[in-house]
Amino acid sequence: MIRLLGDCIVSPLGFSSRENFNAVKSGQSSIREEDGAVSRIDRSLLSRCFNSIGAISGDYTPLEQAMIYAAFHAVKQSGIDASSPRTIFIISTTKGNVELLGEPGHPYGPRRIYLWHTARLVSDFFNNPNKPFVVSNACISGSCAQITAKRLMERRLYDYAVVVGGDMLSEFIVSGFQSFQSLSPVRCRPFDADRKGLNLGEAGAAMVYGRHEENDHAPGLYLTAGAIRNDANHISGPSRTGEGLYLALEEVLEQTGRDSLAFINAHGTATLYNDQMEAVSLSRSGLLAIPVNSLKAYLGHTLGAAGVVESILSLMALNEGIVLPSLGYETHGVTEKINVITQCMPTTGNRFVKMLSGFGGCNAVLLFEKKV
Amino acid sequence: MEELILELKKQIIEALNLEEITPDDIDTNAPLFVEGLGLDSIDALELIVLMEKNYGIKLTDPGKSKEIFKSVATMAEYIQANRTK
Amino acid sequence: MNKITSYYRLKDNRLTELYRSLEISYPKFFKMDRLCKAGFLASEMVFRSLGEDPQSPKHDTALVFMNSSSSLDNDMDYQTTILPGNYYPSPALFVYTLANIVTGEVAIRNKIFGETSFYISSEFSAKELIITAEGAFVGKGIRRVLCGWTEYFKDACDVLVMMVEKDAAEGLDFTEKNINQIY
Repeated sequence: MIRLLGDCIVSPLGFSSRENFNAVKSGQSSIREEDGAVSRIDRSLLSRCFNSIGAISGDYTPLEQAMIYAAFHAVKQSGIDASSPRTIFIISTTKGNVELLGEPGHPYGPRRIYLWHTARLVSDFFNNPNKPFVVSNACISGSCAQITAKRLMERRLYDYAVVVGGDMLSEFIVSGFQSFQSLSPVRCRPFDADRKGLNLGEAGAAMVYGRHEENDHAPGLYLTAGAIRNDANHISGPSRTGEGLYLALEEVLEQTGRDSLAFINAHGTATLYNDQMEAVSLSRSGLLAIPVNSLKAYLGHTLGAAGVVESILSLMALNEGIVLPSLGYETHGVTEKINVITQCMPTTGNRFVKMLSGFGGCNAVLLFEKKV
Repeated sequence: MEELILELKKQIIEALNLEEITPDDIDTNAPLFVEGLGLDSIDALELIVLMEKNYGIKLTDPGKSKEIFKSVATMAEYIQANRTK
Repeated sequence: MNKITSYYRLKDNRLTELYRSLEISYPKFFKMDRLCKAGFLASEMVFRSLGEDPQSPKHDTALVFMNSSSSLDNDMDYQTTILPGNYYPSPALFVYTLANIVTGEVAIRNKIFGETSFYISSEFSAKELIITAEGAFVGKGIRRVLCGWTEYFKDACDVLVMMVEKDAAEGLDFTEKNINQIY
């Protein structure tokens, strides 16, 4: 297991984890229906905040600004030395600076389109000497990056990991999802009978993790287990049997047991097939009684940042002993009787599961724990 | 109509990357989905783009699309009646 | 010692010809973008040399690929479908604007239910390949990883796919030296 030492979310709901969490707790959503039901970060606000950490916003793309800002504050909170060779950066993004493809006159240079270049700019900002790892595994990237951190540290290759996730919206991405007819014209409704699809969102988020020693029982929040599995079914359609998710759930729960599960934070994109698939996998895993939520109606689907953003928000909830409500759900809309939570509720559970699924048939399950 | 059907078959082959298929291989009245050519959900979405790009027909109702894309014949009939290009 | 039990190096971009030479019937091949075709073909050669049945479900196999340009080769094609004045976004192209789709295609073809992951690196790195591939061995029941470098950009095909088996008796040691040699 690895221990969370610091975190930060940059999104339209705020420029800190605390701001985002408070906004979500009070039921706020950054999805603007008048704007095509997407969630976008104010670029000039982002620049100003970025400048405030002693950086020059003109040198960095909005994506890089969001990622570096989030990493900066996560690192600050953690107190670690981000420039140490024992610290590794792990970047999670699906499309990086892809909007530059549609901006031939851009000032950032020809290599800026490469995800590894963006990653290098992030780790270089902190003078980290190691080549960062870059995870690009569709929408599960944020979870995979955390799993990568766990594996690297459990093998003692590094003592600290800064996991940074980010994706920004662009014509490229929005048009693509439009061509899939998977976008909802209104705020999304995960697991609801009237759900019409997903909302796209953008965010940058960072988590700093530290290695955990065998005999160390320090109180805190831990990533205890993680698994990734493929459906082997279709490159963009969710598996009807939820095969990959089921296998990943079983793998994680076998390792950690099923006690004290406070809640399950689903992927819950509010597409017809995704939510149904997740319900089937939860049913197959015997988890129908566990409170379930999706956070997608608060911030939208933030793609490469989703795994990081949603883990942070869920960890904050776990820490406070509450379960966040699943915004947008009213009428049960999947065949399995999963337990979707509609009001903030207290919990004595000290663990939760995070699920994500992505194009390419990949699925990731994380299990987090609070030690007191 | 025959001309349209042949043109449509060629466009379908190109749009859906059906490399090993010729217009003669496509039965005008056979189902396009499940059986027949065995097209999938992405193919259906690509056919929607084809309708707009080549014939100026915008399809927004998924239920209706299913009926229209039943076979090459049903597609051709719909195009004949609704094309704006 | 983890060992490479089979590998295939693909630098030839005549992907359709290679496909035809394999004499398999897999029409979905023609829907793939060039990156997926290249990764698919190299993987096909590896499984074939191991004498494996694509239809048999594989819960003991993970898949970890890496490259430098992600799906940029296809992204540029997709970009041409969203030009102002000629705006017809293509779902068939958009679906391939993610590098990890190649892992999905190989997983579907060979019924691989283990982990599938994709990493990006500025250049081919045997060291990073080893770290990320061996990372997958912690997965439950995973005893082998199909791994490698799947790079394709502007007609340049640079692919190396290997099957690495955990604590194998036979094969090439999974070391930087050996990987660099076969690359």
